[in-house]
Formats: sequence, C-alpha cells, structure tokens
Amino acid sequence: MQAPRASEADLALVERLRAHDEAAFIELVEKLTPSMRRVARMFVSSDAVADEVVQEAWVGVLKGLPGYEGRASLRTWIFRILVNIAKGRGQREARSVPFATLAGEDLDAPTWDPSAFDATGVWSTLPFDWRGMPDERVTGRETLAVIGRAIQALPPMQAEVIRLRDVLGWSSDEVRNALDLTDTNQRVLLHRARAKVRAAVEEHLRSVHT
Amino acid sequence: MSRDLVCREVVELLSGYLDDALPADVHAAVEAHLAGCDGCTMVLDEFRQTIAMTGMLTEEQVAPDQRDILLAAFRGWSLT
Repeated sequence: MQAPRASEADLALVERLRAHDEAAFIELVEKLTPSMRRVARMFVSSDAVADEVVQEAWVGVLKGLPGYEGRASLRTWIFRILVNIAKGRGQREARSVPFATLAGEDLDAPTWDPSAFDATGVWSTLPFDWRGMPDERVTGRETLAVIGRAIQALPPMQAEVIRLRDVLGWSSDEVRNALDLTDTNQRVLLHRARAKVRAAVEEHLRSVHT
Repeated sequence: MSRDLVCREVVELLSGYLDDALPADVHAAVEAHLAGCDGCTMVLDEFRQTIAMTGMLTEEQVAPDQRDILLAAFRGWSLT
C-alpha cells in the first residue's frame, strides 16, 4: 500500500516554514511533541533521553525541510526521522527493547475467549448486547474513563497505534509509516488494541446495566 | 476465500473489515457471514461504537503511565 502523500494543508504549512514563519513552527511543535515524546520513550531508557531525541528530531526536520518533497504526509515524514533517531539512540544505550515487548506477546493468539464458541466455531455464548441501553449511559464519562484506562494498560506499541489511529484520527497508512511497522503488524496491533478496549467497555456496561 | 468463515474467525477480522484493510476475497467472505449472523453483526456494531467513543477522548486522557513503560522494559529484560 502506498503512503499517503502530503495534503494541501501540509504543503501550505511547509511553505510557511520555509519562509521562516515562527508561529507556524511553534504550532507544529506543540501539536506533535506529546506523541513524539511517547514514541521516543518506547525506544530509550528515560524521559530525559526521550526529550533529547525529540529535540534532535526537530533539528533533523529543519535540516531536511528544504528537501521535503511531499511524498509522505508531513507528520509521517517527521515521525520517520524521530523513530530513526530513537532506535539508533536505543541501540547505543544497549537498551533496544525487543519488538515482542513493545507489541505484546502472542500476536497470533485469538483475542476472543475460545469458550464463547462451540466446537464448530459458532457462537455458544454471545457477548453482552449493550445496544438497547440509553446512549447517554453508553457514551457517558464513566465509559470514556474505562476506555482511557484500557488503552493505558495495553503494551506500548498497541497503545500508540490506537492513540494515533482512533484518538488522533491518523490514517492506517500514516500510522504504519510513522511507527515503521509493516502493513500486517499495524493491522494486528490495532485489532488487538480495539478488541481489548471493546471487551473493557462490554465488561463495564454489563456491570452498570440493571 | 473459497470456504465460509465461522464466528470465531470473523471476530478476529472485524477491525480490519471496518478499516477496509482486508484482501478483497476475505472482505467479501466477512460480508457474506455478517449478512446471516446476528451475533457477529452485534459485535461489529460494538466495535464501531467503541472506535467512535475512543475518538471522543483527548490525547491527555490516554497518555501512558510511565511506570507501565518501565515495567514493559523490565519484562523484556527478564525474558532475554
């Protein structure tokens, strides 16, 4: 699958940056830094080193900006620079967290309790059906808090994929490119993350349903 | 995909199905299964709604607990 190209907005922003528009630069840094810091932190040993990596990445962005051709979206391109620096730094620290640790064990294992199905793979115990519950109950603050905690409890790479994709609304291709994942890994990580969040929501709604 | 899918397989494909990320034959097989399966259709609705609710959260509400990252590193260390 092809990486999403730069949008009109990206190209306009790059023009402003090339014209030394400081406000545009600050806005971009403020918008992307929280996720950049989290992603860097997966690969290095401390917050302080992660902050250095983010700094270094921004310097790299400025250096590379004159040659940016818009073949990838701007944030994808920035994250690629970041992830390269963070991985290099992690290796030099001899930290190099194994992918299985970041991604979670058993990526091929089923996400669903096998006992929910009969021997032929057909439902024997359906999950709780919350569709009849009032909307304000389902999408209330409590449920959102449950989702937030479920995401925080995920292995780091699963958590980051669902944050970028479903919380921040990036496209699958952007997430895959930004985090340097294969197409399949991106899909599997997102699926596992969503399945756990759905299960947490189900458990919560079942418990408050009367 | 030449054979029919069963529920146990379909639940593992719903996220990819919603993202249009499945190969065309698998996508068609999921669609065919959903047309005749109320249980899987319900789970699809639940996935869809869960994703929509996840989108209502702010970045701050899902920021990681630094302790968890340290713990993950520790687990990796003890495994190697």
